Amino acid sequence: MKSEHLPIIEVKDLYVNFYTYAGVVKAIDGVSFTIYRGETYCLVGETGCGKSVTAKSLTKLIRPPGRIEKGQVLYYREPGKEPIDLLGLSEEELRRIRGAEISYIFQDPSASLDPLYNIGYQISETMYDHGLISSIKEGFLKAVDILKSVLMPDPETRVKNYPHELSGGMKQRAVIGISLSNNPRLVIADEPTTALDATVQDQIMDLLKKLKKEKNLTVLLITHNMGLVADMCDRVAVMYAGRIVEEADIYELFKNPLHPYTKALLKAVPNPVKKIDKLESIPGTVPNLIYPPPGCRFHPRCQYAMEKCKSERPPEIWVSSTHRVSCWLYS
Amino acid sequence: MAELKRFLVRRLLTFIPTLIGVTFIVFVIAAVIPTDPARMWAGGEKANPKVIEQLEKEYHLKGSILERYYFIMYKLFTNQMVSPVTHHYIWDDLAKRFPVTIQLTLIAFIYIVLIGIPLGIIAALKRDTWVDTAVRIFALIGVSTPVFWLAYLLIFLFFTQLGWITLAGTPKPDYSITGVPLIDSILHLDFPMLAQILQRYSLPGFILGFMGIGITARIVRNSFLDAISADFTEFAHARGLKKMRIYKHILRNALVPVITVLGLQFGGLLGGAPITERVFGLPGLGSYMLQAINQFDYLALIGAVFFVSLIYLTANFIVDILYAFIDPRVRY
Repeated sequence: MKSEHLPIIEVKDLYVNFYTYAGVVKAIDGVSFTIYRGETYCLVGETGCGKSVTAKSLTKLIRPPGRIEKGQVLYYREPGKEPIDLLGLSEEELRRIRGAEISYIFQDPSASLDPLYNIGYQISETMYDHGLISSIKEGFLKAVDILKSVLMPDPETRVKNYPHELSGGMKQRAVIGISLSNNPRLVIADEPTTALDATVQDQIMDLLKKLKKEKNLTVLLITHNMGLVADMCDRVAVMYAGRIVEEADIYELFKNPLHPYTKALLKAVPNPVKKIDKLESIPGTVPNLIYPPPGCRFHPRCQYAMEKCKSERPPEIWVSSTHRVSCWLYS
Repeated sequence: MAELKRFLVRRLLTFIPTLIGVTFIVFVIAAVIPTDPARMWAGGEKANPKVIEQLEKEYHLKGSILERYYFIMYKLFTNQMVSPVTHHYIWDDLAKRFPVTIQLTLIAFIYIVLIGIPLGIIAALKRDTWVDTAVRIFALIGVSTPVFWLAYLLIFLFFTQLGWITLAGTPKPDYSITGVPLIDSILHLDFPMLAQILQRYSLPGFILGFMGIGITARIVRNSFLDAISADFTEFAHARGLKKMRIYKHILRNALVPVITVLGLQFGGLLGGAPITERVFGLPGLGSYMLQAINQFDYLALIGAVFFVSLIYLTANFIVDILYAFIDPRVRY
């Protein structure tokens, strides 16, 4: 970790609910974590565990019926200086930060790009609305350089292409180009390769790694792919049903997982560090978050569950300076 | 653009089979009705057999179906077809009545665009509020109200009670550029004339467009909601675009389905014209067709159907061209 422990984002006690017809979905339930400058921080977990919602909450991108109930997102604009609480900013102040200082890469590049405008225009308008250039035309020239930097083949022609004329991998390169066009400090990559072919996935991840090094970015990577985690991340937080159950240094997590869910998760996917003979599935299903299980949300599926787990929420326990776990087994 | 040109030519060629098909179907329906057209044209039961014989000869009524069809189309195209009932050249009749219908349709279309689209946008922006509900109820009323009933109600209000509109005559200026008085009076900046035209046509236009307003409001609302909740809109927010620019993206994407519906509406308006023209006593193509049906003048009917289909096809043709400009995914 080359962060020298200077934080860039500090999420404190975040709660997000979705008010649906079926009831109130308690999607994020007291999530706290810190991302340090220059690192790649990972959120892992199953579909529906709240990874994406957490990522979108950082800049208040949650749309109705979702609502951020409470919490703080402290953003350290300059290292060591006073942070600002992003959740307290006005819509216009947030707009200036989104895409310029904190930018996103979403899962499906085909859906992220507006089908009616060409790639160059979409890169260009992103810079124009943040005042980086004085005309859309100027942006087209810059867009060619940006496309070059994301290793788009034949950028001079591609800049005038529409999304439907590009392959999935090229579209995601274009999206990455848009995200990096304003030289952001933090890039939030929300499952950036899920919608792509396996071979293209590798290329995109290599590209992200290369760009991170070149531009000295901080990356928040959201994924359910343990292979990606091992390949990319410095620190990992494992989420389950709207809570972070365990957070650790990447090597620590793979070598010494503590939470029963983390252990089960690592047994369920090919482990990049340890060889396992047989993959095991986790019994039971993801809980309905309208009526989440009381106490520890994992207890109905946990083989070590005790009486206490059913009624009391487990506290955060720091087993070392880089490893915390929320489980009664370690108190 | 060479591709576009080739597409347009190809598209124009498809007019031919469509027009033949439409007129042939109308002709076959008229031909299989068990009646004696010549006798009806000649004056019914007591008609002079000599006249009947002459009509049968003149209009080739004894030939095979294909022969008769060919005869009608040939005469129509060479403008030699004289209606056996009105004794006018059919094209002349149609040309005289066309301006009435096109004015009616244009005004109805303006109502649809000016009321239907904003209502849909407002409903989408205020979704799930009372505004949205009100618009949806209005749209439902719009599609389910019988137009003749609404027409009489509004005639009672605006003509009988308020006296704002006129119900007789067809105002026509003494100059002609396009042949359509509405457009001519605007081009000439002849406002008294325009006022007269609007007095005569604005209520029938509204009645004709009423159903379309509801349909359009609904489609606009749904396609706007689709665009608002689309992933690219979320990404537009995530990259910090300005509000107006995001609306521009939403608007353009929402417009694609709306244009299709508007094109179809235009054709639908022409089809709906007979009832409205009848109620308001407007001598347009619609009432011409009704008249032709009543008098079993299927020759005039085929001519009118041909004419209306041609306008319908042209409207769709324009929609196709618009598509090419709005949506880059459309390739020909």
